[in-house]
Amino acid sequence: MAASMNLSVHRLAVLSQRTVISTFLNVSCRSGCRWRTSPGRCFSEGVEDRSTHFGFETVSEAEKAKRVYKVFENVAQKYDVMNDAMSLGIHRLWKDILLHAMHPQPGARLLDVAGGTGDIAFRFLDYVRYQRERQRLRAAQSSRTRSWQDGSDDDVTEDEPRASTAVVCDINLEMLKVGKQKADSMGISSGLSWVVGDAEELPFFDDQFDIYTIAFGIRNVTRIDQALQEALRVLKPGGRFMCLEFSKVTNPVLASLYDAYSFQVIPVLGEVIAGDWKSYQYLVESIRKFPDQEEFKNMIEDVGFCRVQYSNLSAGVVALHSGFKL
Amino acid sequence: MFRNVVSRLVTESVGVGRQVKHSEVVKSLTAGRASARSFTEATDEAQPPFDSSLLDFLVCPLSKKPLRYDAKTNELINEELGIAYPIVDGIPNMIPQDARLIKKDEPEQ
Repeated sequence: MAASMNLSVHRLAVLSQRTVISTFLNVSCRSGCRWRTSPGRCFSEGVEDRSTHFGFETVSEAEKAKRVYKVFENVAQKYDVMNDAMSLGIHRLWKDILLHAMHPQPGARLLDVAGGTGDIAFRFLDYVRYQRERQRLRAAQSSRTRSWQDGSDDDVTEDEPRASTAVVCDINLEMLKVGKQKADSMGISSGLSWVVGDAEELPFFDDQFDIYTIAFGIRNVTRIDQALQEALRVLKPGGRFMCLEFSKVTNPVLASLYDAYSFQVIPVLGEVIAGDWKSYQYLVESIRKFPDQEEFKNMIEDVGFCRVQYSNLSAGVVALHSGFKL
Repeated sequence: MFRNVVSRLVTESVGVGRQVKHSEVVKSLTAGRASARSFTEATDEAQPPFDSSLLDFLVCPLSKKPLRYDAKTNELINEELGIAYPIVDGIPNMIPQDARLIKKDEPEQ
């Protein structure tokens, strides 16, 4: 009974999507078709008919979403441990670099999509808290009367009119649960929200967020152009889109070393630590299928972001793309 | 009976925060799973304020219209389309495929 309801809701979803998104499809397909298997398929009806890649396999789009869900459901508990093991802890540096590039100010609102276990959101909250402390310290040290920020200068951010908030959105409930448990154990209660949502269909009003981040998640999205359009929609004018993702290593010697490491070591680590060879095989394959730095930059520009730029981290193992909604 | 005792012991340690091994054991015990859910639901109902702040910017992903929080069923209702999004462990699930249809008749678009 639940299954039939799900089916009819899905049908409703497809029906409603078709009217709203058909125009988007026509626009996005022209840009997105560059990297699809056959342009003709873009205009076919129904999500199930189109094929895409799942690692090195070719699957239908509906199947990809399901399989990606399964991958992250399996790895959720061991996700953070595996990240540390696979990247030798360097993923922490990449995320720190993202935060420093972001340089959020107190009062900013962050949407972290595919945020899963909340790494970016936690760093964001720490950063704005630290910024606020610095500002307060500077204001206290100066002998002049305080600025307009004074008044409701409590330690608790929720009383202030412009409290920094972070919303973590992920398609996978298991990943969010792990993140929520981490937040509870760290004692973070205010300024952080968790929502299960699809990056291609965000459950938020337009023009809501100052910063949209997606760290190591966008390659798992079935229709990347759709996710980019949603990012543009929910950002405020002047808002920033930032994306951390694995990319192409520029140096050929390093590239072959990286390939060897990816295909020989990572799935083995996955089996030993998480007990899941296939998920980590998918992970390294999906990195290879993702467009390179320039191509992804073009995709972001095509959707409508301005001043798009990228910087390579760790010789191109990871690229940080950034764009503004102006 | 023994299974219930073991699962209750396990779920209490899950509540304390030891996630990794115990939750996997809990998952394997179907009875344990049900009691874990009721345990978390009890804490979940004690936190309705958590939900109302989200309603400021949370909308239905399909129609992009505001939602109504129903405390009884712990769901977010979209009146227009007649669908209800469940809230699990205080986390709203905004995936259209997971939403429940309120009206039994065919939805028209």
